[in-house]
Amino acid sequence: MTAVHPPTSVLFALLADARLPTGGHTQSAGLEPALLAGLAVADVPGYIGGRLATVTRTEAAVAVVARHVVLGDPDERVAGLRAVWQAWAARTPAPALRETSQRLGRGYLRLAHRLWGAHPAVVALDAAVVAERTRPSAERPAGPVGRSDRGQPPRPLVLGVVGACVGLDARQVAQLVGYDDVQTIASATLKLAPVDPADATGWVVAAAPTVEAMAARVAHLTDPDDIPASGAPLLEEWAQQHVRRTERLFSA
Amino acid sequence: MRTVVEVARAGRRVRCVLRAGHLAPRVLEQSGDRVRIALVATGALLLGGDHVRVEVRVGDGVAVELVETSGTVAYHGRGLASSWSADVRVGRGASLLWDALPFVVSDGADVTRTTSLHVHDEGAALLRETLVLGRDGQRGGLLRSATRAVVSGRDLLVEELDLTGGHAVPGVLGDARVVDSVLLAGARPPAADEPRGVVVLDLHGPGALARAVGTAAHVADAGALVDTWRPVLRARPATPEPDDHPCDPDQPTGTTGDDDRSTPCMSPTT
Repeated sequence: MTAVHPPTSVLFALLADARLPTGGHTQSAGLEPALLAGLAVADVPGYIGGRLATVTRTEAAVAVVARHVVLGDPDERVAGLRAVWQAWAARTPAPALRETSQRLGRGYLRLAHRLWGAHPAVVALDAAVVAERTRPSAERPAGPVGRSDRGQPPRPLVLGVVGACVGLDARQVAQLVGYDDVQTIASATLKLAPVDPADATGWVVAAAPTVEAMAARVAHLTDPDDIPASGAPLLEEWAQQHVRRTERLFSA
Repeated sequence: MRTVVEVARAGRRVRCVLRAGHLAPRVLEQSGDRVRIALVATGALLLGGDHVRVEVRVGDGVAVELVETSGTVAYHGRGLASSWSADVRVGRGASLLWDALPFVVSDGADVTRTTSLHVHDEGAALLRETLVLGRDGQRGGLLRSATRAVVSGRDLLVEELDLTGGHAVPGVLGDARVVDSVLLAGARPPAADEPRGVVVLDLHGPGALARAVGTAAHVADAGALVDTWRPVLRARPATPEPDDHPCDPDQPTGTTGDDDRSTPCMSPTT
């Protein structure tokens, strides 16, 4: 790329901004179903920590490895992205969580096409999407689940690609995933429970070292097989219950 | 010490190679290409320093059911870690049902549990796993559990549960002590209502994971799904029936190596 990149820190802030048009306002990072399942507001910081140790760590690692792959050997990029995609799918057993991630991935992909469409990383992702969509049907998920989003790349895959486009390093990509998750929970709490916004912001500040530590632990990853797979059984259960609710503020 | 259960067709017969380790396999029943085998503990399990390895090989066209006679308790390790690992392969047109009994991790135990499952794209496996933290009145020891299920060379499910302290947070296990899972790999489950307290996760490939999480085994019971999903195993592609013949006693008995607890392939004992 010959174009001079704007300073990476500004674009890091841009990608972490809830005003980014990717549909983030529809998300509570599972907080709404958690509260409906009986989570007390006082336990929200514990909930944040639980996600950072499990599903969010997996998402961050997926983004890190996706970024690595698209900055590597051009001949390996498409196959590499498909392997990361597959690793994400195998580590995300709850269809509700897969669908949410794929819906968000679509928003990021739209943005990536408009802003960085010619970047080799985005070109590789497009090729990976085409390859996944044309995969023989016997290999593909069938059944009633996820039909609408079949062939949609999950959010962390796209985020890793976007991170490569704007020059984020691996640790920043992981921090972005972690920060976004924590801030999503904190701001969703304000809409769901009587909480002082400064208190909710305090949760984010308090979680910052955990986000940093999580990012440091996954930043070195380069192989899809090494992506951590720590499950969170209750989160997955609550996410599934939320899909069937008719009255809800957040989609997930 | 390795426990081996290997069931394969040999010509028109079905041959079992059984080898005892910490668990002793015993043929309970055999009919055509279906074999029921019990896994019997040969001593107190699991003590600190015990490393149980179970290898299961289900050959093409064979249906194996493994039954356990008792649950497994990982006792206080007196400072020593223990491990339990299963390596399972299910061939073409083959099936495995392993409705395992609870795996209880006592206070003071430090256990790593690993399940590796490879299923041919025309095979299917149904595996139960009931993890219980602590015996009555205990909080339980340390447990790391990892499951990897591969169907037709592609990862179906890769999951780790790190129950070494950080799990008692909202969203992971909270105050629950029991995680009961039923994994179907190699086939989509029939549509059915979820029993109360059980969540069925349709995986991204051919398979599903049913799970119940709770504070006690009687409130976290996904066992109903074993019965609901079991017919899927019988619906494997038809293969020619071999003669109805008990496991051939003339075949290698598995007394290989220096393992004096090996068990020859036996005729039905029931």
